[in-house]
Amino acid sequence: MAGTGKAHLHGEGQALLSVEDLLVEFPVGRTGLKVNAVTGISFDVLPGETLGLVGESGCGKSTTGKAIMQLPRPNGGSIRFEGQELTSLAGEGMRMLRTNIQMIFQDPISSLNPRRKVTNIVMEPLNIWGIGTPEERLKKVNEVLEAVGIDPDRAASSKPYQFSGGQCQRISIARALVLDPKMIICDEPVSALDVSVQAQVLNLLEDLKAKFGLTLVFIAHDLAVVKNISDRVAVMYLGKMCEVARSDDLYARPAHPYTQVLLNSIPVPDPTVKITGNQRVQGEIPSPVMPPSGCRFRTRCPIAQDRCAAEEPELQALGNDQYVACHFPLRSAN
Amino acid sequence: MTDIVLDTPSKPAKPSPLTRLIGRVPPIRKWKWGFVLSVAYLVVLTFFAVFANVLPFIRRYNELPKGAAARKLASYRGKPSGSYWFGNDKLGRDTFARSVYAAQKTLTIGLASIVAALVIGGLLGMLAGYYRGWYDRVLSVIFDVLLAFPAIVLALIVVGRFFQSGRLNLGLFQMDKRFFGVIVVLTLLSVAPLARIVRAQTLALSQREYVLAARGLGASSWRILIREILPNLLPAMFSVAFTGLAVLLVAEGGLAFLGFSVQLPFPTWGFMINEARPDIVKGGGWAVFFPCILLFLTVLAFNVIGDRVARRFDIREATL
Repeated sequence: MAGTGKAHLHGEGQALLSVEDLLVEFPVGRTGLKVNAVTGISFDVLPGETLGLVGESGCGKSTTGKAIMQLPRPNGGSIRFEGQELTSLAGEGMRMLRTNIQMIFQDPISSLNPRRKVTNIVMEPLNIWGIGTPEERLKKVNEVLEAVGIDPDRAASSKPYQFSGGQCQRISIARALVLDPKMIICDEPVSALDVSVQAQVLNLLEDLKAKFGLTLVFIAHDLAVVKNISDRVAVMYLGKMCEVARSDDLYARPAHPYTQVLLNSIPVPDPTVKITGNQRVQGEIPSPVMPPSGCRFRTRCPIAQDRCAAEEPELQALGNDQYVACHFPLRSAN
Repeated sequence: MTDIVLDTPSKPAKPSPLTRLIGRVPPIRKWKWGFVLSVAYLVVLTFFAVFANVLPFIRRYNELPKGAAARKLASYRGKPSGSYWFGNDKLGRDTFARSVYAAQKTLTIGLASIVAALVIGGLLGMLAGYYRGWYDRVLSVIFDVLLAFPAIVLALIVVGRFFQSGRLNLGLFQMDKRFFGVIVVLTLLSVAPLARIVRAQTLALSQREYVLAARGLGASSWRILIREILPNLLPAMFSVAFTGLAVLLVAEGGLAFLGFSVQLPFPTWGFMINEARPDIVKGGGWAVFFPCILLFLTVLAFNVIGDRVARRFDIREATL
């Protein structure tokens, strides 16, 4: 896996956001080594679409999300938003453009300043950009707070620690919405929440998406969550792209062995089901400092062969909008 | 919005600005008496220090007794009495008046140094922690050097070389050069530890997600530093400042002890202790005892208050 290649990208001008050959590296102390967090992935997001980005911990999902926001800037590749190249923008241009893309973070408590009133937190974007008079700002903030189900009166007198995790996440969503962005990157927005609250927040995101015409990039490690909310899903492994497909196709007919393994790992709520050997993934994720040659998944792949070590697979079309980066896909092209 | 219900409305009464600053005043049986006594002590001390030049019984701090009284009081023979509460010093001067007058000088030096250190150290530490890179490296080396430099030697150089004597004329401000020199030394000594703590905190805070979010919203670096990071730094800065202030009061005593603090005729506590110390056996005990007690109580009071302030600012404890 570990695919490079851009066969899956849509034509010029169609996508709202298109990422090509994204490269993010972090130096390891002063050793001269580097962590290859994201190495040459490409994907695009159509307007109004929800793209799910899944993979296990440490595969570079969150790094990809932050790289789109240029926090920090990626080391290579291109990121175009509405045809505008983000990686070469600096200063004021970057500041302006960032407001079109907003991000929601994993830890709802950490993403709100504990010493400010909730209303002020949500109003901050309007203050930064000097939009409207103070009365108009307050009106807008109260509207958005109500849209996410937070009582504006309570928000005016309370600080984040006085709200629950799910409420804090809704406050984060309100802050992201207040500038009317075109796209929101959700970085594991529900993984820190209870299952019942997860559903609330996911439904809220769906509603807001329809209401405000948003495009979402939804990063998660929970396949069940991604399945419900995404139109298309991209599977990542160790900084590379494995498979991109429409949500239903990916879950019904996975083509990449890693996708298969991920799907098998979803717990079945039936104690009589036995986990058999070939359904489990063996070993640990290799170190991103020295990734395996060829296909990066080969060290743990149940069907790996000699070719996988020698040659890095490229994304190939299987038809019906499904693309896989594997020399031996589990299903052939139709 | 199908299944999301608005939170139950709850409207607490709007707190007054005073309540917002000091928090709700608890009922008397829940008062922390150590804190209340410390505040009361400092209020009284500050009152005397501020009006030391006006109050008649303190204005006599430098007056020598005349005639029969002089003979009676000379050379520490005056024990604490109705007219001389803290007794007399070697020359028969009133130790109470001198101790209280000294509070003015000592507290001014301590407060001025700690405020200057907070501003300078806080700013440098915040910038180092936020911008990192070469700026951080240069500052860290400077702080290390300052910390490693022997404090006494620094005092000797600064006061002895640059602020030996004379008056300093800064336009509107006119002050004794020695006085200013002591403040400079004490500020220099407290900048490095403060800046280090602020830097470490800023490093941690600037990785928090609300800082990333603010940057994503297009906030400028200054806005992030002042709106997002500084409010979260203040508790740590205040608690360090209160304990640091106590250390500075003692350090001023050390400088005075070596003869490098404020010049005659102004007393400071350290100076008074130093002056009477050789004569403890000859009856100078009271003249050492009272400035020591005042110094001790002041340091203790600042520590107790610093502790409470730190807790007041701690979000979790404040809510419990």
